[in-house]
Amino acid sequence: MSSLTKIPSGVQYFFDEEVRRRRYIERCAMEVFTGWSYDEILLPMFDYHALFSRGMGAERAERTYRFVDRDGALLALRPELTLLVARTVATRFPHKPRPLRLCYSGEVFRYDEPTERAAREFHQVGLELIGEPSLAADLEVLLIAAELLTTLDLTEFRITFSHADFFHGLARQLGLEPQERALLREMIDRRNVEALGGFLARHAPQLSEARREEFCQLTQLAGGAETLARAAALPLDGQSAAAVSHLAAIEQTLGALGLDSHFRIDLGEVANLDYYTGLTFRIYVPEWGVEIGSGGRYDQLIASFGRGEPAVGFSFALDALSGALAHHHRVSPWEEEETPLRIPGGDHPAALARAFGQARELRQQKKRVTIGADETR
Amino acid sequence: MQEQSLALFAEAGIVVEEAELASRKLLVQTADRGYSFVFVKPSDVPTYVEYGVADVGICGRDVLLEARADVHQPLDLGLGRCRIAVAGRREVVGEDYNLLATVRVATKYPRIATAYFHEKGVPIEVIPLSGSVELAPLLGLSDRIVDLVETGRTLQENGLEVIDVITESTAQLIVNRASFQLNRKRIGQLIGALRAVLVREEKSEERKEA
Repeated sequence: MSSLTKIPSGVQYFFDEEVRRRRYIERCAMEVFTGWSYDEILLPMFDYHALFSRGMGAERAERTYRFVDRDGALLALRPELTLLVARTVATRFPHKPRPLRLCYSGEVFRYDEPTERAAREFHQVGLELIGEPSLAADLEVLLIAAELLTTLDLTEFRITFSHADFFHGLARQLGLEPQERALLREMIDRRNVEALGGFLARHAPQLSEARREEFCQLTQLAGGAETLARAAALPLDGQSAAAVSHLAAIEQTLGALGLDSHFRIDLGEVANLDYYTGLTFRIYVPEWGVEIGSGGRYDQLIASFGRGEPAVGFSFALDALSGALAHHHRVSPWEEEETPLRIPGGDHPAALARAFGQARELRQQKKRVTIGADETR
Repeated sequence: MQEQSLALFAEAGIVVEEAELASRKLLVQTADRGYSFVFVKPSDVPTYVEYGVADVGICGRDVLLEARADVHQPLDLGLGRCRIAVAGRREVVGEDYNLLATVRVATKYPRIATAYFHEKGVPIEVIPLSGSVELAPLLGLSDRIVDLVETGRTLQENGLEVIDVITESTAQLIVNRASFQLNRKRIGQLIGALRAVLVREEKSEERKEA
């Protein structure tokens, strides 16, 4: 293999339609975000490794590309963008009035294990709403995500949402040790009724069999208002019950907006619970086999940079959005018709001036011009 | 496992015709075209499902643990029951690993093996093999093996013995995360139908035993 053809693992070159499609998606996203008064923030490509390891945990920060600064400090290419936003907000804007509305679009860099390739994201497009703990803030970000998908004509999108406290309250109520907590999470995540039932029989014998069965069913499938009504009927502790009523308020508002067919409450959503503190959601479209975006409320993250404050946001994987649009056989708004323009008479200044004059006129009409040489020459 | 799984689907009313199966096609459909079946190597099943090329898959828990695929596992089909075990030559069975500076472990499951020994704090050198793992300790390629054990006969015939069982493995139904949300009705029905067959079989087993 020659050193010219070899490409480092994970490196991508984009060209032709792929580039036009990706730029189109970014433009649409920024238009939608700007419409909701979000300001774009441009973030550095690398920063201290310690920053990432502080925000995302040492284990995940292992997967960054690291290198050494001239003074010997360890640097890393940015593995995600939310952290950099959180740090900027905590250290640079402590006195700016809240809430802050910030959006971004940019590449991220990390080693992914081969098996995680399905979920890889190399370019994130997203936003954060900072300093606003309200239900309205949660709804705002959900609605922006929905608007972006509609704008991109991915009209069959499905957003599943849950609340981190539903699980935390439950684990507390059952008095689980950290290891058992991890196991319960895994059991719920598998969506295996039998395994979960067995676990609850061992660790929550105080619950009646009917209650345990009901709980297993609830974490199985995502649903609408009826899911919440069934959950509310369970003997939940305060934390879980508050989570359920928060979700109910979101569900009712979405219903009143006529969006309920796109949203599903998924009480079995238990991934990323170390990060999210309230609302969590995942975004799917039938055109793509894995989730194309996710988000939620993370009220603890900014605190790790000094000043604690509420925050909620989401990010889409541009790679997935682009893949979904490529599978989508309707119009391709990123493709523009070309207007070919010949230059008869070759290199004669008068002919050139005539042709380029014409081209200038077409450009003023926003036409896409292709200059071609005279074939008769 | 493929035959047993197809029999289970047939019981649940999802039948692939004999003629289709007799052909060497890797992609077949049920007569009503309601379901397509893709036949792939067991270790590739999690990949097809994780990427959403297949909505649902069947593979052993051993394969899932090794692949660390990000999928749901809603149903244990109970088929192909076996153990993932550490084995070694009969003479070394009682020996402490710590007598060895590093334990050389031949296996088809590098991740499972590494995780198991790391948890015990034992340094290992993984020797990845893709078959006939039992040979490795006999020829001095490795000190131990981590492999699938069904009846234990192959081990026995090669002078090996099980030292520790890491975990049990049976066939699992796995589901792509996006499909689980987007096609929840159909996938729910499929899981329900398969579960009903399993429950029916379990009951008839119990009757037989009684």
